[in-house]
Amino acid sequence: MIDRGVLLVRIAVRNLLASPINLLIGGLILLGTLVFVLLGGLLDSLNQAMQRSVVGSLAGHIQIYSASSKDELALFGQMGNFPDLPAINDFPKIQDALTKVENVKMVVPMGISAAIITSGNIVDVTLEKLRNLYKARDGQPSDPKLSGVPREELVLRIESEIAHLRQIIKVLRGDVEKAMADMVNTKSVEPRNVEALARVEQPAFWADFDQAPYENLEFLENRIAPIVTDTSLVFLRYVGTDLDKFQKSFDRMRIIKGSPVPQGQRGFLIADLMHEDQMKLKTARRLDKVKDARLNGRLIATDDELKRFVKENRHQTRELVLQLDGLKTAALVKSLQALLATKETSIDVLLSQLLDTTDENFEERYAQFYELVVPQVQLYRVKVGDMLTIKAFTKSGYVQNVNVKVYGTFAFTGLEKSPLAGATNLMDLMSFRELFGYLTSDKAEELKEIQRATGAKAVSRENAEAELFGEDAEVVAEATPGVIDPDAALAGTGRKLREEDLIRRVYTQQHLDDGVVLHAAVMLEDPSRIDEAIARINQVSQEQHLGIQAVSWQKASGILGQIINVFRALLFVAVGIIFIAAMLIMYLSVLMATLQRTQLFGTMRAIGAQRGLILSMVLIESLVLGLLFGGLGMLAGWGVLAAIATTGIAAPNDVMYFFFSGPRLIPQLSTWPLVVALVIILVVTIGSTLLPALMAMRVSPLRAMQADE
Amino acid sequence: MRNAMLLTMCLALAGPALAADLTKEEMHKLLTELDDRQRNGGDYKALAYLEQKEKDKADVVREVMIFRRDSDDKLMLLFTKPKSEEGKGYLRLDKNLWSYDPGTGKWERATERERIGGTNSRRSDFDESRLAEEFEPKYEGEEKLGKFETLKLELKVKDGVDVAYPVVKLWIDKVNHNILKRQEFALSGRLMRTAYYPKWQKLFSESKKAEVWFPGEMRFFDEVEKSNSTLVLMKSVDLSNLDLNMFTKAWLESKSR
Repeated sequence: MIDRGVLLVRIAVRNLLASPINLLIGGLILLGTLVFVLLGGLLDSLNQAMQRSVVGSLAGHIQIYSASSKDELALFGQMGNFPDLPAINDFPKIQDALTKVENVKMVVPMGISAAIITSGNIVDVTLEKLRNLYKARDGQPSDPKLSGVPREELVLRIESEIAHLRQIIKVLRGDVEKAMADMVNTKSVEPRNVEALARVEQPAFWADFDQAPYENLEFLENRIAPIVTDTSLVFLRYVGTDLDKFQKSFDRMRIIKGSPVPQGQRGFLIADLMHEDQMKLKTARRLDKVKDARLNGRLIATDDELKRFVKENRHQTRELVLQLDGLKTAALVKSLQALLATKETSIDVLLSQLLDTTDENFEERYAQFYELVVPQVQLYRVKVGDMLTIKAFTKSGYVQNVNVKVYGTFAFTGLEKSPLAGATNLMDLMSFRELFGYLTSDKAEELKEIQRATGAKAVSRENAEAELFGEDAEVVAEATPGVIDPDAALAGTGRKLREEDLIRRVYTQQHLDDGVVLHAAVMLEDPSRIDEAIARINQVSQEQHLGIQAVSWQKASGILGQIINVFRALLFVAVGIIFIAAMLIMYLSVLMATLQRTQLFGTMRAIGAQRGLILSMVLIESLVLGLLFGGLGMLAGWGVLAAIATTGIAAPNDVMYFFFSGPRLIPQLSTWPLVVALVIILVVTIGSTLLPALMAMRVSPLRAMQADE
Repeated sequence: MRNAMLLTMCLALAGPALAADLTKEEMHKLLTELDDRQRNGGDYKALAYLEQKEKDKADVVREVMIFRRDSDDKLMLLFTKPKSEEGKGYLRLDKNLWSYDPGTGKWERATERERIGGTNSRRSDFDESRLAEEFEPKYEGEEKLGKFETLKLELKVKDGVDVAYPVVKLWIDKVNHNILKRQEFALSGRLMRTAYYPKWQKLFSESKKAEVWFPGEMRFFDEVEKSNSTLVLMKSVDLSNLDLNMFTKAWLESKSR
């Protein structure tokens, strides 16, 4: 039997090398296998890298959310929208049930949402500071940071802010004149505002400012601030979570600036990339980007984006100038004159000259900017330690504001530059619940009571005109004056004080667990058994009526998780085309070879060869061809992968950091592409050879001899 | 006022034939009359109930106090119910609309499109009527609204005026000159909101020495999100004088201390 097999293989090898067409077929099989093993390996590595990114940054291995949700959970957004998830009310029960499921390590409560941070323009911001300083001076501080600051210091700070304000007004005069000349901004040239500007330019206005500070502040707020139209608005994605549990479960998370939120307290952590990209002074951020790019070998002289950054820095000095008061401006002018060896007196021109960077002077100017200019201005619009006012639409659709303290910024190791991982901020669970606006039974009852007391009649849109203006309608009525007393209605509100108390409060674990959440991350002991864990969680939910559903990290990541499946499908299509071509050519060539060898097969049959021997001979010829070249293809694919793995593939842009789970993708050869490639080779070779082989098997010795005659 | 009475008499006597030919001047007089009868000249204080209904959401319910000083174009809204909304408010000074949240202690600029208290009502729904000042009218004929004969006008906002909706259609009761229906459109012509005013009340004002009219009930139907609607009920109105320094940020802040 073995001798027969060896003989057949030897015949196959001899026949293989005898025909050039076999080399073509072998080449195609080699190419197909190489592409499959190489791309399959890369995709597998990409999938694993993305899994590390998604699992390690937000999703955990499994996500659970309400089984009654109409929307699917999409942690990274679904076509720009957020899913509308029903609230999970009884989280402690769910947590208790899930932690008993085998392989579940931890359940982290979450709620993903979006909010806005608004701040007025530079005049609004400065006036707000000034107002807070005056209130603190007058013994009614509204900014907790100013409580306890000595009066003398407050007076000095007031003087400094007023000096800053007067500097801004000088800049505004230039803006107004320019706008009037260009006739581009009708709002800023509104005559009343221009008159107001003329009034506040007079020293007399400032000499008497302290006589009626609040009245003067309102004048500035309502007449001068509207001249500046560039109000800033930052959109903020955040996850409300148990921050302590989050940090323990997502071990790639690390604090970059500041500190973690103290256990059980309210607080906010800003994604560091967002802090840099959207909250840093634009000029400084552009300089940072140029510095990074130059470290990666790009040059200002040849790179269009870097040229644009330099141009913007030269022309957009206004945001710097608006932050300087008179004293700071004078000091900076002096230092810049010395540095740039010029007698120029305009701060705009001097800053523009400093920021006119080239490849030759960049490093020096970068250091000079941070040394001379940055200490005079506010580098970040939100700093660690600031109180952030976050505005969000509640579940009921109305706007809710919450103050939270910013304790620090964070990033995930390896994903520091990824805009996807760096787009989500973290907030404590209690503040999240407040912004979510979940209606507790007490609140719902209070609203019902107000509705009952009013007794308003419901009118449908369809019948509105008939009901409101029908035959019985009486539109006109006499009214009697009523007593309206705001003091009686608001007695004992003291809401501000309660809010300040909330910021300092330390919540117990029971407080954190006992409340509404929207979804939760489930961390597993053994992530390779994820499918089993999902099935078990879904089963437990049904048995215990938990009303939740469990999905994998891939499904929970929304459209992002599907990208890898799309890539995989494309790979199969591409490889499929190569192998179908190989199969067709193989089929035709084996068919031709069989027809050419009819006489040989007939002779073999005549001298006693069985049909099975003929069939085996033809099949083994093809198998040897497939396995030899397929094996070579696998080896080549593995070799290329190994070569790539020595340095890895650099992420071509910041977005790819997320897919590569870091700055480089290090591919690893996994077994599935080899196994699948082997199966495909066997299918292709046997599939394409079977019919010609059966034909060869059926050749009769008589027919072969007749053909010869 | 005399002009307004004359116009009313003319419209009532001449009937549809004359009404069909309302001149620009007559329309302007009509708008001025609508504004004048709602204007007090002195101060105005009201307690209103707001209710917003949206599909699949809990009702938003609020009680709000409205303070107006028409002579200075000042307006202030102060929320008193429910507890979570106590002390929140809006203040309009000149062309600036500010919103205040005592929870954060912050004032923020709001636009004319601000949804007051999360409902589909706007600042202009509570403020002094300024139709003649803000819009140019166009006559669109007569129309029957339930049992009422109405005059239909289309108003377009004047250049440089900031309003919530730039195009407005009004259905005005031919007899009493009350606005019964109002439709508001975006610049693109898309219908955004339909409002009904089924109750008009009047109160004698000492400062004006005449009656002041106000809508006792306003119903707004959202035309974009068709299932959303807002109800505003004026529970009581008081025309006595308000504190001199009331329309300030400091006053509103002091209410939640």
